[in-house]
Amino acid sequence: MISPLPLVMIAAAIGAALLGFAFVRSGVRWFLGLGLGAVAGGAGSMLFMIPLDYCTFAAERKPYEAEFGFLLVGIGMAVVLIPVGWISLRLLRGESLMSTASQPTQGTFRHWWIAIPLLAPTITILVLFLYYPSIETVRLSAHLSRLGAKREAFVCTTNYTRLVENSDYLDVVIRTMYISAAIVVLSMVLSLLIATMAYLPIRGASIYRTLLIWPNAISPAVAGLIFLLIFNPLGGIIDHVLGSAFRLGWTNDPKVAPWTIIIASVWKSMGYNILFYIAGLQNVPKDLIEAGAIDGAGLIRRFTHIVLPMLSPITFFLIITNMTYAFFDTYATIDYLTPGGGPLESTNTMMYQVAQLGVFGERADLGKAAAQSIVLFVMVIGMTIVSFRTGGRQVTYGA
Amino acid sequence: MTVRRFHIVMMVLVILAAVLMPATVAQEPAEIEVWVAFDDYRLDWVNEVAAEFNAMFPQYNVVIAGGRSYETMFAEATVAAEQGEQPAVIHYFEAATQDARDSGLFKPIADALGDRTEVNGLPVDLDDFIGPVAAYYTLDGKFTSMPWNTSSAIWFSNMSYLEAAGIAEPPATWDEVEAACEAIMALDNAPQYCFSWPNHGWFFEQWLAQQDALFVNNGNGRDERATEVAFNSDAGVAILTWLDDMYNKGYLYYSGAQGGDSWATVDQAYQTQQIAMAAYSSSDTTLYTQFGIDGGFTTVASFLPYNDDTGWTGNLIGGGTLWLTDGLDPEVEEGALTFLLYMTNTENAASWHKLTGYIAIRNSANELLESEGWFAENPNQTVAAAQLAQSQVTPATSGALVGGFPAIRTEITGAIDRVLLTDDDPAEVLAEAAEEANIIIEEYNLLNVD
Repeated sequence: MISPLPLVMIAAAIGAALLGFAFVRSGVRWFLGLGLGAVAGGAGSMLFMIPLDYCTFAAERKPYEAEFGFLLVGIGMAVVLIPVGWISLRLLRGESLMSTASQPTQGTFRHWWIAIPLLAPTITILVLFLYYPSIETVRLSAHLSRLGAKREAFVCTTNYTRLVENSDYLDVVIRTMYISAAIVVLSMVLSLLIATMAYLPIRGASIYRTLLIWPNAISPAVAGLIFLLIFNPLGGIIDHVLGSAFRLGWTNDPKVAPWTIIIASVWKSMGYNILFYIAGLQNVPKDLIEAGAIDGAGLIRRFTHIVLPMLSPITFFLIITNMTYAFFDTYATIDYLTPGGGPLESTNTMMYQVAQLGVFGERADLGKAAAQSIVLFVMVIGMTIVSFRTGGRQVTYGA
Repeated sequence: MTVRRFHIVMMVLVILAAVLMPATVAQEPAEIEVWVAFDDYRLDWVNEVAAEFNAMFPQYNVVIAGGRSYETMFAEATVAAEQGEQPAVIHYFEAATQDARDSGLFKPIADALGDRTEVNGLPVDLDDFIGPVAAYYTLDGKFTSMPWNTSSAIWFSNMSYLEAAGIAEPPATWDEVEAACEAIMALDNAPQYCFSWPNHGWFFEQWLAQQDALFVNNGNGRDERATEVAFNSDAGVAILTWLDDMYNKGYLYYSGAQGGDSWATVDQAYQTQQIAMAAYSSSDTTLYTQFGIDGGFTTVASFLPYNDDTGWTGNLIGGGTLWLTDGLDPEVEEGALTFLLYMTNTENAASWHKLTGYIAIRNSANELLESEGWFAENPNQTVAAAQLAQSQVTPATSGALVGGFPAIRTEITGAIDRVLLTDDDPAEVLAEAAEEANIIIEEYNLLNVD
């Protein structure tokens, strides 16, 4: 059992040391850093622990739950310390909080409060439909809560630690990764290929382009239904087309079923990607390609050295949107093609499991689903940051 | 001149009519929302009955809403209740009985009726319901929900395949199923698989009951509230082992779909003659018989085959009942009650049975069908009722009452899925499912039991 007071004091000491050091390096008075750091570090350590009532450190909890508690203390400290340090440093050095690029050059409001009524509609909607549900999700994740049940029970961080204990969840995470990666890569490569062909000056190109884009207008559920007719393991259309040699258990063989989902999702998302790639191809300057041709670059060389780099902003944008689609929007396709998550749960992705466990399935377990949705949320945020840090640098925005 | 006078007269009449309208138009009918867990021809039947009812009782307006399956309707109803938008009547399957009872959202039919013998001129005769049905839904000595669609698990055989393989009678036991499959799959024009079944928890429960084994403790939750599952027994392992054996021999077709989504996959396989036999619910006896007529073969219905080693004790009922929401406006409650009585009256019970194959739930309806010669002409339609009538009544064959039942079923179908598709040991897999099911019960009881 670790009591709260020493924990807060250690956190305050760490915070003081960190900010003090940062202030010294920036040439600002060090004792201000010490004071701010102590307050921010102490407060940060309580960010998650006050709502949880320090339950992870209670005597009856397992050792790894205490470790999870330390992790939460650390995250809370980081969440408070980093912005406090950053803002106070800039203010103390007399810098503006906004970067020069985003500062308005003209047309500022006379009074600062005029912004409030103008922002109010957006803020209202964000609070009602984003911030409040997010906070409620965090609260639910610390509870045993079932839809339709008479009451809730506080369960500390059990909903999270159970995920670590349970090797099934790791399988779900890995499966989600490879299904999503396959969807994003296949869909984008195929889309670029098709967009390049559809951009060729051929007769009736506009008709081809329209036909190529329309799957985007179909909902994921309908995509699932269409592919169920094609891939039904008994008497599906594909068996008639390919003959009995290719008779695979498209939806009932655990090795094949994820690929059926991938094929359906790729087909569904390709229209969107093709649309953007055709638009991107139209912006590649003709004279650049002509110059390349005159210099003796072949078709493939022109494509890889001129077209592809010119398309990189669109490719980067599409990677982010496709990743979001693969993680969050394939739910209905999975539900229609392989209801319940497929044979041996082979098509059960993180998002599908959250929806099944919490809302659409029989278990109606809001608490466990909330914990899993927070894990998913943190993961997607992390991956987006990683792609901005790595991919974002490769992007050329101009010639 | 005359035209102008005509205009004036018309205007006066229109004004008069407008003034008098509110007094002369009948009161708005009370709207009674009814949710039914069907979306096919069965929903059409309910809509027809509701239309007849609305014509007979203009003071009420029954509005029917359909759903994809019992499981999804159960989840939707839970959300609706949470938001205070519960319909007047909800159609729940047998597995939701304990949850519905604990929710406190519903009023027992017996309480709503009081000691009346008729409601709005419709007779109340609860003794007319056949024994097993009345017994299942009489809780704490009270008639709780209104029985409507009641079925049992039975076996359908495509006799063209069986006869070609030299088998005269549908198999009655697991061994006979295997023997029949061996013969059928040896045919030159053998189907792709020998038989299939919906991977729905209900069939596991049926096979468990046949062996007189309990699903949950405390007398299947009927003596006292169930606190643990009991299906993790030799009888339970035997079911998984048999299914796995049939699957490995290439006899059993498994579509990969579980729960409410599994039914349609078996329909498709049987209708297209890709399988010779199917375990199914008697709810679709009419449909399966029709599949045969349309496809040029004969469908014969028979009792659900049982485990040779443990013998046959009896089968469970299944299906759904209609639950009356508590705290309704008195007029709406009266209307809902009237509709429930109308929907399950003798004529409707008989027409419902003919349309689907669900058991005719009233003795009077059975007499009516008998006198029409229906049973003599349609022997398949007698199988489910006979199977229930011959069943010994034990705690096992009465069916389980347990909170979180629908979620427990998902554990069972997941276990069967794993046993079929991997080499994992059935006993181990079932033990793990039992462990998870016990957590479900424990959590359910923690949140719902006072």
